[in-house]
Amino acid sequence: MLLALAWKNIWRNKKRSLIILVAITLGLWAGLFSVAVMIGSWDTTVNSTIDRNLSHIQIHTKEFKDESLISFFIPDGNNISDEISDLKEVKDVSARVLIEGMASSPSSSRGVNIIGIDPDREKNVTTIENYIVEGEYFNGIKRNPILVGKKLADKLGLKLHSKIVLSFQSVDTTLTYAAFRIVGIYKTESTPFDEAHIFVRKSDLYKTMNSQPIINEIAIRLNSSEYLDTTYTLLKEKYSSLFVESWKDLAPELEMTYEFLIVEMQIFLGIILAALLFGITNTMLMSVLDRVREFGVLIAVGMKRIRVFLLIMIETIILSLFGGIIGMALGTFTIWYFSDKGIDLSLFSEGLSAWGMPTILYPILPLYFYGVLTTMIIITGILAAVYPSIKTIKLRPADAIRTYG
Amino acid sequence: MIKENDKQEIKIMALIELKKVSKIYDENAVPVRAVNEVDLKIEPGEFTAIVGPSGSGKTTLLNVVGGLDKPTSGTIIINGTDISTFKTDQMISFRLHNIGFVFQAYNLIPVFTAKENVEFIMLLQGIPKEEREKKAIELLESVDLGDRVNSKPTELSGGQQQRVAVARALASKPSFVLADEPTANLDSVTANNLLDIMEKLNKDHQMTFVFSTHDARVIKRAHRVVTLKDGAIDSDLPTGQAGVEKEIVTVNET
Repeated sequence: MLLALAWKNIWRNKKRSLIILVAITLGLWAGLFSVAVMIGSWDTTVNSTIDRNLSHIQIHTKEFKDESLISFFIPDGNNISDEISDLKEVKDVSARVLIEGMASSPSSSRGVNIIGIDPDREKNVTTIENYIVEGEYFNGIKRNPILVGKKLADKLGLKLHSKIVLSFQSVDTTLTYAAFRIVGIYKTESTPFDEAHIFVRKSDLYKTMNSQPIINEIAIRLNSSEYLDTTYTLLKEKYSSLFVESWKDLAPELEMTYEFLIVEMQIFLGIILAALLFGITNTMLMSVLDRVREFGVLIAVGMKRIRVFLLIMIETIILSLFGGIIGMALGTFTIWYFSDKGIDLSLFSEGLSAWGMPTILYPILPLYFYGVLTTMIIITGILAAVYPSIKTIKLRPADAIRTYG
Repeated sequence: MIKENDKQEIKIMALIELKKVSKIYDENAVPVRAVNEVDLKIEPGEFTAIVGPSGSGKTTLLNVVGGLDKPTSGTIIINGTDISTFKTDQMISFRLHNIGFVFQAYNLIPVFTAKENVEFIMLLQGIPKEEREKKAIELLESVDLGDRVNSKPTELSGGQQQRVAVARALASKPSFVLADEPTANLDSVTANNLLDIMEKLNKDHQMTFVFSTHDARVIKRAHRVVTLKDGAIDSDLPTGQAGVEKEIVTVNET
């Protein structure tokens, strides 16, 4: 009957109970959704960085990591690359040639990172093909085709099919020049990347340099990011003479962003929970003060104080549970809806691309977060009920009965 | 088999016994003696009214007897148990099993029906559902509310609410009922009706009633009238004695 009394008490002042219910619902909904947006934004940024060029794992020589010279190529690199691509966890491997050089147009020149690739294999490792906004992915120009970023093309005053001259130090340290023709212009979420990276066929580079098929970088794409840690450890052990790095080592700023994100989330949730705590305490306190005489009567006729205490707690727990369930349902639905459709942030695209962030954001929330957040909201509800409940057990029935309210 | 000595013991043991009971409130650091060294005995089956002008200490005395307030000094013995030293939860439990309350403002639980209000006390006593439902209906029938068992307090008149309160007071099978100004909010017809029911319960079931009241209608029906003045007993007389009611009404109006 304590439960029945609590339930009936909740609905005696519908407006007040609905206020608590809505506060908890909105609190949980906002908490779930905003955390999903934060994690989603981080996850999308990570994925787009991995997709753009980073891949999951990269291998270089230790010397190359100190100084990015083409002469620091991976000994027996193509065989190692084939070995790795045979691993079941690996989707594909892109064996790349990396050269720091200069790109020149008739009007200007810029320092660039020249990435020599096998276009067919690269497609399986990164998604640079999908970012092409003009022209085609190594199709349409037979001799020395080149992919350039939109930003670089603009800076050098180049268009599709324009000629571009690359100058760089060859394997034998001689300075080499070669003319390439723009086969495609790409535009990623990251303006700095677009400005500094150009893609050519590595076979064209070998021909230009008159060199053996050397490689400086093995970029590995896994079937799933779940295999990252195990594959990383395996490769690190197997190729101990080389420098094996996961995307976390390659882009430490992303890992750092995640740590910031966690702190940001904690502060944000702390604010939501504190607002809820005070809101519910205030409303429950009003509810208790309105019923002082009734509690006095309950104690007078023989209801133990602990039961009166529990009565208020049960009322708040019921409200918190309902608010929690509705908030979770709303939050889940909203996250599900936007995880499919995405949140379009193209209005802020310029600012976002400067940070390498995508303009469509897909909120995601790991399953355990639902449990954690819902529990936190319910605990907040319960904590909020403690003070008003203590008020009731301190009542003196003789005084309480004389109260009018 | 009760021995002769035990019989004598039973005879002399009062249901309620107050020995030099005082209650002093500290109001703005000024002590107010609401009840002043009261000695009082109430025997089982009595129908007693405690009367006196406003501020004479009637309600305080009733609260002290009912364990709703602790006496500052003195001893209160109920059914042979000294309750003046009870701790809070011990007192709550004692009230639940020994004392019924009827308040001036009815004080029913507004979200419960009449039946649930009566049942609630038995629930606190741990009586099984079927038994308490049956008993609640019986009690409501005994106060002529058999047809309103499922009505909520807001759907009942003041008199009907007070009758539910009487049924609730009796639900715990108490040793006595304390009624604080039970007729104060009722018109004459309703008040007389309520008093008829209480009188009948007193007569048929020897239920002890102790009233705190100003109401001449209650005083006229009481078997004994204790008059308080400034927290102390001014007179303690059986009704029916020539001039008692008139004298008491005069005291009340003072």
